[in-house]
Amino acid sequence: MADSISAIVTSMGFSSIESFIGLLLLAGFIIGAIVVIVTIKPVFEMFPYAYPNARVRARIGRLITQKQFSEILESENLEEVKNYLRGFPEYSKYVDKYPLEKALDIQLAETHDLIARIAPGGIKDVFRVLLKKWDINNIKTLITAKEAGLNPEKTAELLIPFGEISDVVEKLVEVKSVTEVIIGLEGTEYSQILEDALTDYEEKGMVLPLEAALDKFYLENLLKAVSDPSDANTTLLHPYIGTQVDASNLKIILRAKADGLKYDDISPYMISKGYQIRDWKLKDLMESEDVSGVISALEGTDYSAIMVDALAEYNKTGSIAPFEAALSEYIQKTAKTLSLKKPFGIGPMIGFLSRKEVEIKNLKVIVRGKRESGFPVSVIKEMLV
Amino acid sequence: MVDIALGTALAAIGAGIAVGFAGLGSGLGQGMAAAGSVGAVAEDPDMFAQGILFTALPETQAIYGFLIAILLMVFGGILGGETALPVEVGLVAIGAGAAIGFAGLGSGMGQGMAATSSVGAVVENPDMFSQGILFTALPETQAIYGFLIAILLMVFGGILGA
Repeated sequence: MADSISAIVTSMGFSSIESFIGLLLLAGFIIGAIVVIVTIKPVFEMFPYAYPNARVRARIGRLITQKQFSEILESENLEEVKNYLRGFPEYSKYVDKYPLEKALDIQLAETHDLIARIAPGGIKDVFRVLLKKWDINNIKTLITAKEAGLNPEKTAELLIPFGEISDVVEKLVEVKSVTEVIIGLEGTEYSQILEDALTDYEEKGMVLPLEAALDKFYLENLLKAVSDPSDANTTLLHPYIGTQVDASNLKIILRAKADGLKYDDISPYMISKGYQIRDWKLKDLMESEDVSGVISALEGTDYSAIMVDALAEYNKTGSIAPFEAALSEYIQKTAKTLSLKKPFGIGPMIGFLSRKEVEIKNLKVIVRGKRESGFPVSVIKEMLV
Repeated sequence: MVDIALGTALAAIGAGIAVGFAGLGSGLGQGMAAAGSVGAVAEDPDMFAQGILFTALPETQAIYGFLIAILLMVFGGILGGETALPVEVGLVAIGAGAAIGFAGLGSGMGQGMAATSSVGAVVENPDMFSQGILFTALPETQAIYGFLIAILLMVFGGILGA
């Protein structure tokens, strides 16, 4: 046997069996290294998501089910809704501490905070930007409260104790006017954008330009965070965020067209570089004569089909609420589709966030409905997403 | 310097491949399952026992690799023996080590992914436990094939019972 192997090795041009084995081992080492690298690479992409996804999936399991929503809907009053929510660990710690709607907002803020903390490196920035939403909401609350002349105690009650500048915001409840709020934000990233919109606010005498400037800043930052994807997971975030930007632009355009506003009135509030609605399309939409013109101009995008369905309802009622509901539903569907694409990556996080936001939205609808005594359950049901 | 025959040295390489690659797959798989389990336990402390179970499953590949490596070392003359393996038997030893090594690498990583996913499924819905165990156990088969072939190579290749 050994002799025949030696003969084969010699016939192959090797001086000894040792040199042949040496070459064999070297080839084996190279093949082994290639196999290991190719096999391990995808695992290393999944590794950072194992921990956050397990936490997220635990929370998905605790989301309120359809059956539980039906039971909450049957509650006689707000106290019964509160009692029901005490059975959920996420809500129980807040429902007795804050007014119900604020407790729901705090729970959502806490969820955003958790995701921003546990998200792996590559996508952390996006979720950090998402957390800015609570700073922006608090600033909007402050501005609206000061415009309405609310006292510091009432204003403080409306603030959500989350966000990067929550301590700055808390101090500003004491100031007297909107302008003082903006001055008080000096040194934060919101100062300049609010100062830029201040003249518009003073001219028009309404807080809308300030709120729109904040919304624009938030969505532009989100877009910036996903604009340079480093891997398949960050790439998946672009359609999710981009769809939200598209929906925001569309809502503003539709509202403006329903009020008969023109291109120049709308364009300052637009956010460019959306997902399906690129800049040239956005221009077409803003130049449309009316709401049905906007819907026609959407031809060629996925939004066309869903908006056409809502157009009939708009023509009947004159309210743009059906469009807004259709867009919200579309965002939810997009999130669901994306969440299934990367089950070992960012998928569960996107799916959970979307479902949590819908859950909070629906709970708020129920809370508002139950606040009005005798408000029909069937009407509340229709308003749920 | 210890005088080792070329065949025995090849068996040593086989032992290294067996435990090295199988351990790599098992370690990665177990690491992923452990990371998932820690996340699950952070949300629900009652998940500890299930987490441990799912994390322990990808351990088996390393055990198979370890066992083959020990056998190769004992019967290859590295541990407690004067046996000097012929070169061709040494090559068989490398084959045996590669069989369990690579099978363990793939099986361990696959099982780790399945275990991670199962932990997530169970923490989301506790009724998924038995299905999770079943799905996680499936990638074990590749390691068993590798282990079996390694044993057969050693038996019929003249290392075991020669």
